[in-house]
Amino acid sequence: MTAALLGLAAMLVLAFLRMPVAFAMAIPGFVGLGLIRGWPAAMSSTASVIYDAGFQYTLSVIPLFILMGNFVARAGMAHELFRAAYAFIGHLRGGLAMSTIVACAGFGAICGSSIATAATMAKVAYPSMRKFRYSDRLATGSIAAGGTLGILIPPSVIMVIYGIMTETNIGALFAAGVFPGIVATVLLCLAVVYVTWRDAGAGPPGERSSWRERFHALRGIWPVILLFAFVMGGIYGGVFTAAEGAGCGAFGAFVFALARRTLTWQVFVEVLAESARTTAMLFLILIGAFIFASFVNFTSLPDDLKRFVAQFELHPMWVIIAICAIYVLLGTAMEELSMILLTVPVFFPLVVHLGFDPLWFGIIIVVVVEIGLISPPVGMNIFVLRTLLPHVPTGTIFAGVMPFMIADVIRLAILVAFPAISLWLPKLLF
Amino acid sequence: MSASRLARTLDRVLVTTAAVSLFALMAFTFADVVLRYLFARPVRGGLEVVELLMVAMIFSGLPLVSRRDEHVTVDTVESHFPGAVKAALRRVMHAVAAAGLAGAAWLMVRKAATLAEFGDKTQLLGVPIAPFVYFMAALLAVTALVHLAKTFLPGEPGGAGARVV
Repeated sequence: MTAALLGLAAMLVLAFLRMPVAFAMAIPGFVGLGLIRGWPAAMSSTASVIYDAGFQYTLSVIPLFILMGNFVARAGMAHELFRAAYAFIGHLRGGLAMSTIVACAGFGAICGSSIATAATMAKVAYPSMRKFRYSDRLATGSIAAGGTLGILIPPSVIMVIYGIMTETNIGALFAAGVFPGIVATVLLCLAVVYVTWRDAGAGPPGERSSWRERFHALRGIWPVILLFAFVMGGIYGGVFTAAEGAGCGAFGAFVFALARRTLTWQVFVEVLAESARTTAMLFLILIGAFIFASFVNFTSLPDDLKRFVAQFELHPMWVIIAICAIYVLLGTAMEELSMILLTVPVFFPLVVHLGFDPLWFGIIIVVVVEIGLISPPVGMNIFVLRTLLPHVPTGTIFAGVMPFMIADVIRLAILVAFPAISLWLPKLLF
Repeated sequence: MSASRLARTLDRVLVTTAAVSLFALMAFTFADVVLRYLFARPVRGGLEVVELLMVAMIFSGLPLVSRRDEHVTVDTVESHFPGAVKAALRRVMHAVAAAGLAGAAWLMVRKAATLAEFGDKTQLLGVPIAPFVYFMAALLAVTALVHLAKTFLPGEPGGAGARVV
């Protein structure tokens, strides 16, 4: 127990001194292993971790989904999604903000990154909302919050990482995200309704579209539907593995970007190089996380945590509530990817020991990450909007995301209380 | 050739290697699925090709990430430190990272030597594995050198985690 706590403390101190997270985990993990099991054992196990990170076929799912997201972001399909959503609900009060959220959900179905979703949608939806005199609060809040749907609605890079760390089936995790994604979309739209009910001037209605225009707009989103159906249908139909699905999805997104002439040679090379760098960065962190996890598993910490919980005869649900509270708090101050990588090796064994479903816990993790992404002061989606919309004061964005954060916390409570929302679909498919 | 020119050339070579490997990975995965379903003829040793491409991409990407300071970091606490402390701390962190990566490179050299000694090859295609592990070691060493250089000339740390979630 002491060894693990010292290791954890060393890791946190290094991370907070701004040591890259990968090294902050790898170094205490390696030293800890060396002290407990002896240096030759520590060296050989670390060498295997590094070697296996490269030579492992299933991990190719990571770069391929990242690549797919980056191609999709450049292909410009977000315009059609927004136009289609607008044609149906744009004439309602707050309709453009709701259209933004629905379009984000649609974009999330072909893109596994919430940052990419928020950044893409900011360029598409913000100018329209501005034109209809939406308040900057509602405009930026709906984009930041809608963007987080990118990681809940499959595909999702963070689910892939969770799946790899915990050896949970990635296809099943994706399926588990579908209904929570719909619940999330509805709740975020209700948050818009609430905001415009309090202040009608925040989100004036747009123009009503005729049914003819609606069907026309709907026709524009066929590439999105096709790509989603192709990738997810292939994975669930047993046609290909998650990694192959990611490869085919990336290829499909590449073809669409080519066909829509959004891909210059320069952009093409940049997409590849950026995706490769993101992958390398991520693999270094995975290596660090695995080294640290192999150290923690050799200490008594996992058992001690279980005993600690047993000793207080806590209801397992209290443990989940405590974990959620810790995550929401940590998420306000920490970058979310590091938060998950640093904590999942400690929490996951406990949660599974208490009898909870790893798929369901994965969804809970994604939702707390979503909340973290829009919670001030360190929310990544807020940063994205600040960079893209420099004239909007940060305080305005902070105020704008508040109603959506509350909607997200309500959603977290709903998903914790009713695991069936997450688990019904994967149980049906697998 | 001056050091900065060497760095630029190396950067270019690594960007090309990483980009080509990633594109090949995508094209190959797609082609494999198409061949298997449409022509009932999967590519022999497809898994091995994917693994070798992954090694090429990931490890040539590492020095690029370090050079651009794109590693995920937590700046919550550090951002409140005074400037001089921050600057000194960054140097120390780069030195530690360089040492860690050098250690990792050495571990991979040892691993590669063992693999070479036993003549390990991939199962179906019979590609010798040791050269790829030497490649991993070499690029880990290059990444260590990048951090060593930054120990003397630190840049602004980034936050590439943004691009993942």
